Amino acid sequence: MAPSVPARPFGGSLKWGLRLLSLTVFLVVWEGLGRSLDSLLLPTASETIATLVRLTGTGELWQALWLSNQALVMGYLAALVMAIPLGLAIGRWRKFEKPIDLYLNLFLVTPVSALIPLFIMALGLGTVARAAVVFVFSAPIVAVNTRAGLRGIDPRLIEMARSFLATEMQLWRKVLLPGALPAVISGVRLGLARAISGMVAVELLLISVGLGRLILRYQADFEAASVYAVVLVVLAEAVLLIGLLRLLEKRLSPQGGTEGLQ
Amino acid sequence: MIHIRGLRKVFPGVGHRPATPALEGFDLTVQDEEFVCLLGPSGCGKTTALRILGGLLRWEAGEVLIDGRTVTGPGTDRAMVFQNFALLPWADVLTNVAFGLELRRTPSEGRRQTAKRWLEAVGLDGFESHYPRELSGGMQQRVGLARALAVDPKILLMDEPFGSVDAQTRRVLQEDLVRLQQRDRRTVVFVTHSMEESVRMADRVVLMSPRPGHVVETVDVPFPRPRSAEVRKDTAFVELKEYLWSRLEAMQPPSEREARIR
Repeated sequence: MAPSVPARPFGGSLKWGLRLLSLTVFLVVWEGLGRSLDSLLLPTASETIATLVRLTGTGELWQALWLSNQALVMGYLAALVMAIPLGLAIGRWRKFEKPIDLYLNLFLVTPVSALIPLFIMALGLGTVARAAVVFVFSAPIVAVNTRAGLRGIDPRLIEMARSFLATEMQLWRKVLLPGALPAVISGVRLGLARAISGMVAVELLLISVGLGRLILRYQADFEAASVYAVVLVVLAEAVLLIGLLRLLEKRLSPQGGTEGLQ
Repeated sequence: MIHIRGLRKVFPGVGHRPATPALEGFDLTVQDEEFVCLLGPSGCGKTTALRILGGLLRWEAGEVLIDGRTVTGPGTDRAMVFQNFALLPWADVLTNVAFGLELRRTPSEGRRQTAKRWLEAVGLDGFESHYPRELSGGMQQRVGLARALAVDPKILLMDEPFGSVDAQTRRVLQEDLVRLQQRDRRTVVFVTHSMEESVRMADRVVLMSPRPGHVVETVDVPFPRPRSAEVRKDTAFVELKEYLWSRLEAMQPPSEREARIR
């Protein structure tokens, strides 16, 4: 007997229809605004898209993407590998939390961009410095969400497991990890969003390489359409990656994960 | 046999709140195969006593013995049923029922069969692959009961298990529990604040005082088994219930009595 799944006729196509509609409206308004202002600083939608197509034909954009994403991958993966276990540990054991909590909050509330110069002074201008910035952007939110996931588990479930003689290991595998999973995954997703911000921020602010360098250069040359096109590329990458994570989230939690901390 | 003598439990104070004595001089003896209800005003420490028996709480003074051995933690001889069901929301009914067996490393096939057998015994066959949120409160508690019975405990510790289900369902659950207890001859310690429930099911009703809880009176329930549902209409049943009610009412702190008059 399978649990009945409520059918949602047209649910999916309606959602996509609305998305398409809002996108169309956005593009039309943009196009109209661009034409009526006729400004050097605001390209029209059609110009931007044409430029985007042209840029994808050149090696320049792809190289920039490659360069930027090296730092993203390194920094983000390091953030996951360190922040998830850290979040789990401080969520479970208060004695770990006390010394770490302060720094976590500090990094969550300070505009991390302000710290970028420090990283460059310490780590130079290479990929490692950029990866470190990406790390600092994304790790705190991943850790905090993971902790919230553990804290959100009903303590009565833990007590129940203990009454059935669960060992600490079994408790983790059967109760704590599955219980925390939805919030951990939304932390992973939010962390990715912040990692992408970090990737672009560092390139715009100090280390001029990759996509950031393209944006700065086109800006300097008053090539507004190109600036917009690169920004679109960044947006597209973010949407694509986060979409992939959502897919992963659905596969991992058939119960439809919770939203976690947004 | 359960043997508790001179039990004292104090919950430590937090911040400005003083320490709370929950149990003081609590004595209780439960024979094998006996069905005992702990009845008392809310906050009298009946749940605390049950959790101590379950090995989930330490105590300050007194002895707590099961079959002559001091309780040092949860054990295979006991299983608990919780007020709020404490089912794993991400696991289906069968997995929930098999949870205790899984923790005891029973091979999966045996686990499955035992769990199915107990699901049938509590009247839930056909619901194996449902999730807890798809079930009513009464059905969820049947799952909780099946989970406890599946590990074949000698002693069943039940913490107001039917407190949050509606009146009709509650009656049916009571009947089913008594039937299963009589069939398998388990010892049951059942915490409740319902006079009716205790008289309907128990061999003995143990009346507790308000905090710090201790036993004020033990009342034998004279009705022979099997008791039909008709027993509720018996004059002796009604009288016993009324007697327990008057004893409980006399124990209410004056403040609550006044609050009710107004």
